[in-house]
Amino acid sequence: MNALAPLPADTSVAAIDKSRVKLDVQNLDFFYGKNHALKGVSIPFAAKTVTALIGPSGCGKSTLLRALNRMYALYPGQKATGKIMFDGEDILRRGIDLSMLRAKIGMVFQKPTPFPMSIHDNVAFGVRLYETLGKADMAIRVEEALRRAALWDEVKDKLHTSGLGLSGGQQQRLCVARCIAVKPEILLLDEPTSALDPISSAKLEETVTQLKSDYTIIIVTHNLGQAARLSAYTGFMYLGELVEFGETEGMFTKPVTTRASDYITGRFG
Amino acid sequence: MEHTLRAYDEDLDAITAELARMGGLAEAEVVDSLRAIARRDITLAQAVIGRDAGLDALELDIERKSIRLIALRQPVADDLRRTVAAMKISMNLERIGDLAKNVAKRAIVIAQSEPVTPLTSSIERMGELVVARLKDLLDAVASREVDQAVAVWRTDHEVDEHYDAIFRELLTYMMGDPRTITACAHLLFVAKNLERIGDHATNIAEILHYEITGVELTEERPKSDELQRHDA
Repeated sequence: MNALAPLPADTSVAAIDKSRVKLDVQNLDFFYGKNHALKGVSIPFAAKTVTALIGPSGCGKSTLLRALNRMYALYPGQKATGKIMFDGEDILRRGIDLSMLRAKIGMVFQKPTPFPMSIHDNVAFGVRLYETLGKADMAIRVEEALRRAALWDEVKDKLHTSGLGLSGGQQQRLCVARCIAVKPEILLLDEPTSALDPISSAKLEETVTQLKSDYTIIIVTHNLGQAARLSAYTGFMYLGELVEFGETEGMFTKPVTTRASDYITGRFG
Repeated sequence: MEHTLRAYDEDLDAITAELARMGGLAEAEVVDSLRAIARRDITLAQAVIGRDAGLDALELDIERKSIRLIALRQPVADDLRRTVAAMKISMNLERIGDLAKNVAKRAIVIAQSEPVTPLTSSIERMGELVVARLKDLLDAVASREVDQAVAVWRTDHEVDEHYDAIFRELLTYMMGDPRTITACAHLLFVAKNLERIGDHATNIAEILHYEITGVELTEERPKSDELQRHDA
């Protein structure tokens, strides 16, 4: 044992300057019935950056993501305690407008979920729920969203064909376009490329890179390379706990905790 | 802890084993090149020169294996630091081999000129110090002992002091008897090569420190008085 190497810490959560935090999870516990899925998780998400959540299956990263827009409220028996401060307001409190919350916090899932309607209507669908736009304004909004999702050039000549006719990668970017068309502030991505081929994955990653200057993006991924490529901050979760959180560069060159180190170097279990 | 994928450990271990072999060879080259000077042994000097190709080949192989590992396994954290460190340490060992080869070449010329005994024994003393430091360091690399490497790193000034003393001694000799100039000039380069071998040893100590702790070794290292140095 050499004296210079510091003893590995059990958990390590880096602080982020308060003024940069968009979404601040404080001491969050989550229950699926009796199953205690998140245990006292506190994690800050910085504005206009990408934060990646990594960890083995069942560690609670998707649960955390689903808590952030209260997606879990759709299911009985699921309960969250603690605080999730979004621009100073606790989104876990009763009486919050869930529909408005989900307009501000958009989500893209593991498998593409286009609606069985045209490409144009897929993007316009969400907008119509919140705003009444004229045809021309809507066309502008749809184009803008598709451009931002890096899909416009591929679909501009077939906007009125079905979204289901697109490739998996295109469908996933269509879902991103649908999300950003309602002008959210936060994007939650739950393993968005796990069903995509490498080229489509790269395109989606490029889309995320383009979007991060305007959105606070939180991505759950099993692809460690993807976390390293895309994110500025990374959180490593294990058995419902946040074990380590900090700058991605530090996480991948010099992780502080043994558990995070073992996981990212492929020594787990 | 082992990697879930065992072949990953085998790849890393293969690089570490090769690095250890390379360290042993480099050290032997330095020892033998100095022995060739002390004993005026031209055959040994030629053997050292011939052996350097083996060190070059090992360096290339470590580089190849490391690049392959980076491409196929995408190492991160301590695995990444270990792989990059292996490449950098092997480069330094290869340079040490080159310097030993150069000492051996000069040993041949020195063996063919008039003996300058007191000087060769000064070189031998400096050589013993450099070899001892190199040995300590390679042990530290093998056993991954950061403290031991830092101790070597911290005492580099001892080598520099030897070099400065030899420089002055050689000047005095050359002024006193111009017939010794050829041998003395070669001995001066030998001393310079030894000093550079010491520098490579401190490089390796720094690389090992980063590899193991993830932090650069930045504290101020004691140095001999810069103004008194006579760098060639």
